[in-house]
Amino acid sequence: MKGYKQWSTVVMSFLMAVSVSACGADSPQAEQSAPKPAQTSPAEAAAPTPDYPTKQIEYIVPYSAGGGVDLVARATADYLSKEWGQPIVVVNKAGGGGAVGAEYALKQAKPDGYTALAVNVSNTTMLTAGMLNSPVKNEDQIYTTRIGKGTLAFAVKADAPWKDFAEFSQWVKVNPEQLTWTSVGPAGFSAFGVAEWLDAIGADFSKTRMIVTKGASDSVPKVAGGHAILAVHTVGEIMPMLQAGKVKILAVSGKERSPFLPDVPTAEESGMKGLTVFWWTGVSFAKGTPDYVVTKWQDAIAKMEKDPAFAKKLTDIQVESAYANREDFNQDVIRETEYYTELATKKNMRK
Amino acid sequence: MDGFGSALSLENVLMAAVGALVGTFVGVLPGLGPTSAIAILLPLTGVLEPTQGIIMLAGIYYGAMYGGSTTAILLNIPGELSSVPTCLDGYPLAKKGKGGPALGISAIASFGAGVLGVIGLVFFAPILADQALKFGPPEYFALMLLALTLMVSLSGGSLIKSFLMGAFGYALALVGLGPSSGMPRFDYGVSQLMGGFDMISIIIGLFAVTEVLKGIEERRASAMITKPGSVYPGKEDLKKSAAPMLRGGLVGFFLGLLPGCSAAITAFLAYDLEKKVSRHPETFGKGAMEGVAAPEAANNATSSAGFIPLFSLGIPSSPPLAILLAGLMIYGLTPGPVLFEQHAPFVWTVIASMFVGNAMLLILNLPMVWVWVKLTRVPYGIMAPIILMFCTIGAYSVRNSMFDVLIAFLFGGLGFLFHKYKWPVVPLVLCFILGPLLEESFIQTMAMGAGDLSIVWNRPISLVLLIAAAALLVISILLNRRTNQRVKEARARGMDVA
Repeated sequence: MKGYKQWSTVVMSFLMAVSVSACGADSPQAEQSAPKPAQTSPAEAAAPTPDYPTKQIEYIVPYSAGGGVDLVARATADYLSKEWGQPIVVVNKAGGGGAVGAEYALKQAKPDGYTALAVNVSNTTMLTAGMLNSPVKNEDQIYTTRIGKGTLAFAVKADAPWKDFAEFSQWVKVNPEQLTWTSVGPAGFSAFGVAEWLDAIGADFSKTRMIVTKGASDSVPKVAGGHAILAVHTVGEIMPMLQAGKVKILAVSGKERSPFLPDVPTAEESGMKGLTVFWWTGVSFAKGTPDYVVTKWQDAIAKMEKDPAFAKKLTDIQVESAYANREDFNQDVIRETEYYTELATKKNMRK
Repeated sequence: MDGFGSALSLENVLMAAVGALVGTFVGVLPGLGPTSAIAILLPLTGVLEPTQGIIMLAGIYYGAMYGGSTTAILLNIPGELSSVPTCLDGYPLAKKGKGGPALGISAIASFGAGVLGVIGLVFFAPILADQALKFGPPEYFALMLLALTLMVSLSGGSLIKSFLMGAFGYALALVGLGPSSGMPRFDYGVSQLMGGFDMISIIIGLFAVTEVLKGIEERRASAMITKPGSVYPGKEDLKKSAAPMLRGGLVGFFLGLLPGCSAAITAFLAYDLEKKVSRHPETFGKGAMEGVAAPEAANNATSSAGFIPLFSLGIPSSPPLAILLAGLMIYGLTPGPVLFEQHAPFVWTVIASMFVGNAMLLILNLPMVWVWVKLTRVPYGIMAPIILMFCTIGAYSVRNSMFDVLIAFLFGGLGFLFHKYKWPVVPLVLCFILGPLLEESFIQTMAMGAGDLSIVWNRPISLVLLIAAAALLVISILLNRRTNQRVKEARARGMDVA
């Protein structure tokens, strides 16, 4: 019996230790006062830049762990933690299609550079385009750096009757009411890809039917099982089912073939111009975050993209490197927002 | 067989043991389930070899499934959603002084079903994964209807109260972004509500916090009422539980192949099945050993079965498996048949290690149960705040949000009132889980059929499920009447029946 008593003491102390450390993880941010946000008056701009980072950084991923945005953010956090010698902790705050975490990082947290946000096409430009009054807007954030991108692929069941994308497009043009496609929602990533494609081939978007799913892991099996006809996702998201021989990819969008699928033609090669929707992910900071923070992240990520270990990580998750600095990233986002808003208005996707 | 060789190497056995232990530990903590544990430990995969990393993460996954049952039985706190059915009979058993045997049965059931699941994984992985694809929206819709017939048998007497609580549960699930429209519902302009209520915080509230409140009211001297007895179940308990274990394991395994069919759902279904086939349905909910064996077997079989669609098709059927998938991706191991071909040694080592891990759970946990039993003998004045602390950590850790902690405590208060006025909380939980799935599959079905619902009964699998649901509904209502009758008789004879 004595042995058990000791055991329980050991276990109890372990429990306590865990709980204490769990509570502790949260407190330093509250205790330490934030560095003063740099005012951009000329006099102060000349002053030496403060040390950054001097404590743990929270990297908010507004989706659950395991998705593309999450994996890229984790690889980035891993690299930067080593580079800067400060822990960068990935915190998943899922919900509201990426809006909940974004709102937290951009509006609730202090704009002191210690809360970064993992952004991607769905919770930025598409959110703004798809909602009349989206909870987070381009003006709320400083688009710091784009890190990676994914090519869009059009997947159908492996034994579907169409031999190529042109034939499939022709069929859809004649029978739009028979096309079912999957998306996370009316203004989801796939919806923009489908709307753009139908627009390009002159098929009636409003007659097709959307099947709402939770995401790629839910929707690709539905296409493979014959419950929906088309799934539009990034190459990486379709890869397992493609390799399993359950689906086939008719085309990829964009100007170039995907490095992961060198044999699959682009839509342009199949005679359809102007399919531009692609998936990307990067990092953002709240408006008012000091410039030296933004520059430091931008420069570190530029260096990271040249790191072979990081490049391998991206390849493993089938994401392409797509570095863009602050200026380029911003311009791209603004252009994309305009384009998507126009597309969404035309196709009556704006709610 | 080579897999066994490498699975038995010292480091791999060690990893399986570490995984199983850590898993059990987090499973015991309310809220801090396999999903968060795997997510927290995912960075470790950067340090470990792929095989060891995945063995450990898998160990955490099934260890946590087991760990949830310990506090469910001893303290009426389900660490995991899937342990809710275990509470229903496990806690009454513990109150009767049979907590030890109940834990033993639960460990054996977990082990048996876990092994069954892994055997299934070895033999059926490629074949069964194909079948899972046949389950489309109409089939899920029918399956959810089938699961909802559980409402009747979980009513605890009053059908009306059960349906009202179910409706309340569904109403709670409605808060947040609508699954089809993507539009916020019932958020009243509060940004936290836009993300909806979190299932775990509600469960923690309704079960754990409520339990503490009850304890305080009863001025419990100790959390444990009587001695739990030996953890090694007697012959009779084993005999009684053997068939339920097998049935639970089979239900858990086959339904577990379906993506989206969580361990919680299969555990509930297995519990219900036992109650229906039992000759003494009236003993359920008051300490029936079968009521512990079946759901425990089911939830572990489901966890093992989930590896089949994961490995062979890359479909994660539950959130922890989704994170495990991420773990595989980090190593550049994209799941699919190609994985079996290209990385055969890896796959078989991981599978073999699951046998090792399951055995480890049994060996570690039967003696370790005493540690948890000890824990419950700590004076209640000390236990209560510790439990509340775990509740707080658990609720917070799900989404890293204080809002969820608030919700947990709010529902703790509500749960206490429900308990006082004898409103059953299980239908609430059930509808909170199933409601959104039903709604989603209904909308998908409507989109598939272009607004024509007839595809639900025009497809063979869903038709069979629909007929089964209708039959179950009728049987449940009849059985429910019979049970109520027996309870009445028992009361008339002066027995104290809750």
